[in-house]
Amino acid sequence: MVIENIIAAADALFTVPTMALMVLGVAAGLIAGAIPGFTITMAIVLTLPFTFGMTPIQGLATMLGVYVGGFSGGLMAGILTGIPGTPSSVATTFDGFPLARQGRPGLALGIGVWASFFGGVISAVLLMTMAPQLARIGLEFGPWDFFSLVLFALTITASLSGDNLVKGLIAGTLGLLVATVGSDEINGVERFSFGFEPIEQGFAFLPVLVGLFAFSQLLSDVQDRQAARRPLMPPGAEAVRIEHAQAIREVLSRWGNLIRSSLIGVFTGILPAAGGSISNILAYDQAKKASKTPELFGSGCIDGIIAPESANNATAGGALITMMALGIPGDIVTAIMLGALLIHDVVPSPTFINDQPTLAYGIFLAFFLANFIMVAMQAVCLRAFVLVTKVRMYILTGVILAYCGIGIFALNNIIFDMWTLLIFGVIGLIMKTLGFPLAPMILGVVLGHIAELNLNRALSISDDLTLFLTRPWSLFFLILGAFSIFFAQYQKLRGKVRWTLIYPSAMAICLAVPLFMMQGAVRPTIAGVVTMFSVWLLWRHKRRGWKLVDEVRE
Amino acid sequence: MARTHRDIIAAVFLLVLTCVFYAATFTIKKTSFGTVGSDVWPRAVLVGQGVLCILYLANALRGRYRSEITRGGGIAGWFSTYRNAMTCFAMYGVFLVTLPYLGMLIGATLFVFLLFNFLGGWEVRRMAVHGAIAVIAMGAMWAVFTYGLRVILPEGEILRIW
Repeated sequence: MVIENIIAAADALFTVPTMALMVLGVAAGLIAGAIPGFTITMAIVLTLPFTFGMTPIQGLATMLGVYVGGFSGGLMAGILTGIPGTPSSVATTFDGFPLARQGRPGLALGIGVWASFFGGVISAVLLMTMAPQLARIGLEFGPWDFFSLVLFALTITASLSGDNLVKGLIAGTLGLLVATVGSDEINGVERFSFGFEPIEQGFAFLPVLVGLFAFSQLLSDVQDRQAARRPLMPPGAEAVRIEHAQAIREVLSRWGNLIRSSLIGVFTGILPAAGGSISNILAYDQAKKASKTPELFGSGCIDGIIAPESANNATAGGALITMMALGIPGDIVTAIMLGALLIHDVVPSPTFINDQPTLAYGIFLAFFLANFIMVAMQAVCLRAFVLVTKVRMYILTGVILAYCGIGIFALNNIIFDMWTLLIFGVIGLIMKTLGFPLAPMILGVVLGHIAELNLNRALSISDDLTLFLTRPWSLFFLILGAFSIFFAQYQKLRGKVRWTLIYPSAMAICLAVPLFMMQGAVRPTIAGVVTMFSVWLLWRHKRRGWKLVDEVRE
Repeated sequence: MARTHRDIIAAVFLLVLTCVFYAATFTIKKTSFGTVGSDVWPRAVLVGQGVLCILYLANALRGRYRSEITRGGGIAGWFSTYRNAMTCFAMYGVFLVTLPYLGMLIGATLFVFLLFNFLGGWEVRRMAVHGAIAVIAMGAMWAVFTYGLRVILPEGEILRIW
């Protein structure tokens, strides 16, 4: 069955136009990812209008090309100039730039490229194997469980995307509120239009998203007039010959680091909101801790390039797992990809992989293939990147602003969508200025309909609200949501205050409760093991007298 | 304007907004069909938002965001910081207002040309370069959408294509 699906998907994917589009997508992603301030999300947003006229598989393959290319493009700028092209390649600069300055830019780039490639391939394999399994679990979900999952996605996004949790949560509720404007999906009743005809059907999802994210980002880039007139990057980037053979040897000889970092990337991607910007730092940190020579990190250490680059590319596969299996976008990029799927009348859900196997496996294959194209295109795009860095920021901003408008108009052929773009661009810029993170708002807009639909279904089946607490999966996500509120604080204060000693064990014990409630033998057994391990951890801390990290050192 | 003051204003504004929307939920039509009314979910969201806004206001009043103060200069300083962004928004607004008359091709080209000059400078040599880039970039984009993707872009009153 799986083989048949892969063959059918390959038949749809391996056509000359689709391959050509993927090559273009990867090239665009590589160049966009390499430009500081020009994020992968923006590259995906700009690609989206071109996919309207394509078949779903062509459109998604192109966008996946941009996605994979974007993650890898960031390393070019990071290694050659020390300025990361995207937040997901910040840690690459720690060792990539020093190695390049030691006269080995070709090797540094090669290691980055091949670590990205292997990370991407590992995550593609996990995507193919895990997404159908997760979708099978998703089939157990009722409306109560989906509603709680959305709440968890919003709380963890708010927690991880900024320093201020309250502002993050407000941004999330504002997103949910925007999603309620217009005609109610269930009863068809008009809400919050205040007599204004163009919004009687509600705001179109993509203009809101592009306005909030891309439009506001572009305008904050040109706030400083002097900076806007400078070239995109300071001089220093030069096209170099990538040392492929030696890089492959170096990367494969450190396979432990490669696999560990890729797994960190995949599992970070599965979590809603935790994207490549987090996984690359986490993987770098773990590689340093596991290394026999941690003192070499930061001075051109090869492990320090492999870890972040394999992790950030693997994150893409992880984010796709959640989107494909549950229909819940893991980050802003997958939220836009979800929008692209909806444009093509494809609605990801737990039944998606079974109902549309050709398209689902086509996405798996396209993601796998994009990694190969990325390696092939890197050398070509390196030259293009060097040329693009000479362009001035305001030129790029002006062209992209106009292009955003045209692209958004092309979505529904409605001029009001361009006004929506402008309005949400203003809102996005104001929110950024006030320190509100935009990711929770964007996810709120995307997930608002899913939350309302599932709440409505749940209350239609039974008005018993305790079902949210007595159904195991719903309780599982509610507990995760409650603990995720403190997750960012935990990361910041880990080992420095006493409650962080209890936090992981308490979370594991609480999560074991719904697992115990589940049917079968496997999940209760896992719950038992997790509980025993957590109790052992707590006992160990108690035996040590609840000592913090500094006290242990003394 | 200090960050704390801005946060107090933002919190009050958000609270007022929440109240206005909450009041508007009472105007949502009740239907005889459907188990759950269309006003239930918006009200739940607004109650949550209201609580969070009160927390935000309390934090702002306690000076919790004082450490985030980035710049001073009062209204003038604020205006000087955001002048570029505000002008770009205004220019984009004018572009949209004139779209039915100028059409996408002329309107977008003019918008990009004026934006380039505003951000990059009004020297004659630069203006020539800006004009060339604007015409080529917008012309190419318009052609791709019109002939490649078969999107009927607003043609305006001046240049009738269709």
